[in-house]
Amino acid sequence: MIPLSNYLAVGAALFVLGMIGFLTRRNLIIMFLCAEMMLQGVAINLVAFARQHGNLQGQVFTLFLITVAACEAGLALALVLMLYRGKRSLDVSLWQDLREPGVEANVDLEPFPEAAPEEPLPRLTPAGVEPAQPREDSYV
Amino acid sequence: MTLLADAPLNDPLAPGLLVTLVLGAAGIGILLPRPKRGPVLAGLLCGVAALVMAGFTVVTPDGPVTPEVVLFYAFAGFAIVGGAMMLIQRSPARAAISFTLVITSTCGLFLLQAAPFLMAATIIIYAGAIIVTFLFVLMMSQQTGYSDADDRTREPFLAAFAGFILLGALLLVLHRAYPSTDRLAELVDDANRAKSRTSTADMFREIGDPKEYLAEVRTEALRHHSSPAYEGMLSAAENLEGALAGPNVNAEDVRRPLGELADAGNAVLAERQRKPLPAGNVAALGTTLFSDYLLAVELGGVLLLVATIGAIAITHRRTEARA
Repeated sequence: MIPLSNYLAVGAALFVLGMIGFLTRRNLIIMFLCAEMMLQGVAINLVAFARQHGNLQGQVFTLFLITVAACEAGLALALVLMLYRGKRSLDVSLWQDLREPGVEANVDLEPFPEAAPEEPLPRLTPAGVEPAQPREDSYV
Repeated sequence: MTLLADAPLNDPLAPGLLVTLVLGAAGIGILLPRPKRGPVLAGLLCGVAALVMAGFTVVTPDGPVTPEVVLFYAFAGFAIVGGAMMLIQRSPARAAISFTLVITSTCGLFLLQAAPFLMAATIIIYAGAIIVTFLFVLMMSQQTGYSDADDRTREPFLAAFAGFILLGALLLVLHRAYPSTDRLAELVDDANRAKSRTSTADMFREIGDPKEYLAEVRTEALRHHSSPAYEGMLSAAENLEGALAGPNVNAEDVRRPLGELADAGNAVLAERQRKPLPAGNVAALGTTLFSDYLLAVELGGVLLLVATIGAIAITHRRTEARA
């Protein structure tokens, strides 16, 4: 028999992982996936409480949570698409000037390492025996 | 299984939990993507060690190894590993696939908690619709080579540190709010057996030394201070102490407070018990949704409609007016 607090601990771990990802990553889509992971942690908590107290309120709440998450996903992805059309990149730091006025700008100091040169696609020499063409022997 | 079972209540943080949190923060901080990848192996070792230590210290196993225990460990482990993998992936498509692993593990946990409809609904809606939509958007906004969005992270170690401090605080609060009920059950058993005896000597043989028994009863009552019946236990302990302090100890005088103690202890234990869920999860969920929460269901429908209109309105390309 697994006590309630173990499920709540798993929910807490997922929530914290989502929070770390949301604060850290700069790709808009991964930031949004981390927000969804926070919602999953909360859903685990709600369903565990529903099981403990013996009524379905927690499960009903989770169902509405899924509904709101679906709406949020649709709208957020629409916004991500519009932002991508604006700057041709999914980086959230490109929109820094939307921040509060007193915060200093985020400047990337570490340069990227040299990218390996792209290998051209291989061209193969034709190999093998040319297949015999059917000869037109007679036109009878 | 109990959460942090060997951490005493007045210990600020159990050492096992502290090591788990430090290893986890170090692992996540090392493995978050950077332009030049750090020591990946060291980060992976930290993460695996943190997970293993969590399995032994945070969620301590005791009791028989039933299939429920094995499944809980499996699903919880996959959920946390999937979550961590989603954080450290460089490519967002792989992060979406790791998130699918998190969703399916969460659905396994839902199934363990007697929520089959929620399991099916989450898999269909989340893994089937939301993640597929993500992958479509990713397909349209692909970036090749090194990019700022994928390879840089903001303050990895600071964020991991802050996040794991929050996790430590949450786990500590859970440990204090849900202490183990084994000792309380034993004390209530002793009280039940003692009150059915006839002579005080028999009673004392059941409960042991009265002073130690009273001290343990008080400790357990304070551990379970989150349930309202603990005050009944404390007052019964007061009465018992008063009955034992008199010059001639009468069996009747001792039996009454023992009875009160057993009742209060049973009330505290009953609060901790799981209450039964209605069988037929889908039927009961449907009845509840459409009778108690009808307004919320209708509002949910309106919300979905508004979100659809909003999404189309946001991405609609404005065409030039025809000349």
